[in-house]
Amino acid sequence: MISESLTIGGRAVTKWLRNPFAVVAALIQATFWLVLFGNSFNPANAFASSPLGGGSLGFFQQAFGGAPNYITFLTPGVIAIVSLTTMSFMGVDTVLDRMSGYLDMLSTYPIPRTSIYFGAILQNVAKAMATAMVTFLLAFFVPNGLRLAPGFNAIDLVGVLTTFALLSLVFSALFSGIAISVKSTDSFFAVVNFLALPIWFISTALFPISFFPGWMKPFAQANPISLASEATRLLIVKGSLTGVQASSVTGDIVGLLLYGVVFGALGILMARNALKAR
Amino acid sequence: MSKIIEAEGLTKVFPPSTKAVDGISFSVDEGEIFGFLGPNGAGKTTTMRILSTLSSITAGTATVAGHDVRSSPGAVRQSIGVVPQEITLDSELKGMENLMLSAKLQHVPKQEALQRAKELLQLVELDGASDRRVRTYSGGMKRRLQLITALVHRPQVLFLDEPTSGLDVQTRTRIWEYLKQLNREGLTVFMTTHYLEEADQLSHRVAIMDHGAIKVSGTPSELKDRLHGDVLTLEFVDGAGDLTALLEKIENVAEVVRKGEEYRLKLPKVETAMPGILSAVTAGGLKIKQMSLTKPTMDQVFLEVTGRSMRDAEEPQANGSGSYGALYAEAKTR
Repeated sequence: MISESLTIGGRAVTKWLRNPFAVVAALIQATFWLVLFGNSFNPANAFASSPLGGGSLGFFQQAFGGAPNYITFLTPGVIAIVSLTTMSFMGVDTVLDRMSGYLDMLSTYPIPRTSIYFGAILQNVAKAMATAMVTFLLAFFVPNGLRLAPGFNAIDLVGVLTTFALLSLVFSALFSGIAISVKSTDSFFAVVNFLALPIWFISTALFPISFFPGWMKPFAQANPISLASEATRLLIVKGSLTGVQASSVTGDIVGLLLYGVVFGALGILMARNALKAR
Repeated sequence: MSKIIEAEGLTKVFPPSTKAVDGISFSVDEGEIFGFLGPNGAGKTTTMRILSTLSSITAGTATVAGHDVRSSPGAVRQSIGVVPQEITLDSELKGMENLMLSAKLQHVPKQEALQRAKELLQLVELDGASDRRVRTYSGGMKRRLQLITALVHRPQVLFLDEPTSGLDVQTRTRIWEYLKQLNREGLTVFMTTHYLEEADQLSHRVAIMDHGAIKVSGTPSELKDRLHGDVLTLEFVDGAGDLTALLEKIENVAEVVRKGEEYRLKLPKVETAMPGILSAVTAGGLKIKQMSLTKPTMDQVFLEVTGRSMRDAEEPQANGSGSYGALYAEAKTR
């Protein structure tokens, strides 16, 4: 099962790397978010120039979890959004594999059919992780870019990477299940559009939880994008976490794991159903 | 010879009520090339999808290499190679990489897979292109590579769905040669086709399928023998009058159909009929403008058993079968 999943996933990753357009497109998207949105929307400027903010960063930092600037706050959110869009785009490959008869052909091989689903997840996580790490590095180099907490250490870095990996796993489990089940790219995009925008908007990817009205808060807090963004933010803004902060990050990671398990179970059911002889 | 594929009352109904395969029974011997011939929509591909474990069975049974398709699909999958109608290669991967990917998913040890891949690449004359990405291949090259990706694990049975549809004549002939070579090495081939010529040239036995049922099966020559002979077309110089009665009297002429100055004679045995015809023509002082002899083809067999010519024959068949078909059509309406 594992070796077959790796083989199927590896094939897709090789394909992705050989067609660098997709890689470049994902990175351009991340750059636009950081450079253009990060600087235009920048609430730190808005607060500083309004009577409310009193001309200082204090008010912004209070609202934005102590971030030294907006892009530091935004980077985890951008990675989460790019992960979401990468996943939804990458799912198309699976739909195309189905339409071209490739999934049928895989189904005539003596391999467990769920390895086709796991292969899809693996490749997507690999792609999303690659994109996430480059985006993370990129964020240091944009104007008013990412500034890590002075205490940021190796454990914090591991925490950040784990969070990214889990988030991409969550989305990949979900979208690969959908991609394997639908019969055309049209219906896949319809489902993706229906899901992706609410997941994105009801999240703390772009602004803090305090901005949401009361009725939206529970949804925003439970959103996997928020879990990943909050955990990563604590790690990069504070560094060398205190016990309370560490348990908050652990809580977020456990939440992501739960999502992964639920979506994974759902995806296995969908894949089994979609790939069974009928 | 042992039977490697056996189907008994095989039925497939697509909900709500489309009967794609209607209770067919047939068997394929080990080492045979078995051709499933029929127009698009006849149920050939559905039958093949059932045998290759991609479609479920509504009723009946099927075994492949001794394994029941329904109860042990995993064992069936280990014994078969499948070449679908469409190209399912990875265009961003190189030729060799595609082969090795397939080998890996078939659990072939790497060294063995490399060896086998090299042999197969040589067989289909792609050894010079194995390092190129499939994206750069021509249609024929892709089809050849697709064929051998189904063979790296040395399957007992190869399923081929329309192996040469849309290919030019040269490529088609080459693919036939490869298949004959593989078959000589012991591979059993189950093939669907809607090319009459392909079924004729390649198959040891053919089953003609139409509307989900097998209309007739046998060796190509058995099927052609059913037509009882060849057809001689004679065209006389104008003004000869009606010669039908005269021609019908000749010994060993089974049937005469007139169309203007053209007569089509059905001859069970050409050798014995010809002298009679020639002497009758000479005796009558008749002048022949044109004459041609047509051997029976699978096309006519198809027409005979289904009552119509291939709906979607993509190429005009050689040796004048068009007019031959008309003879039968006319004969039937009389």
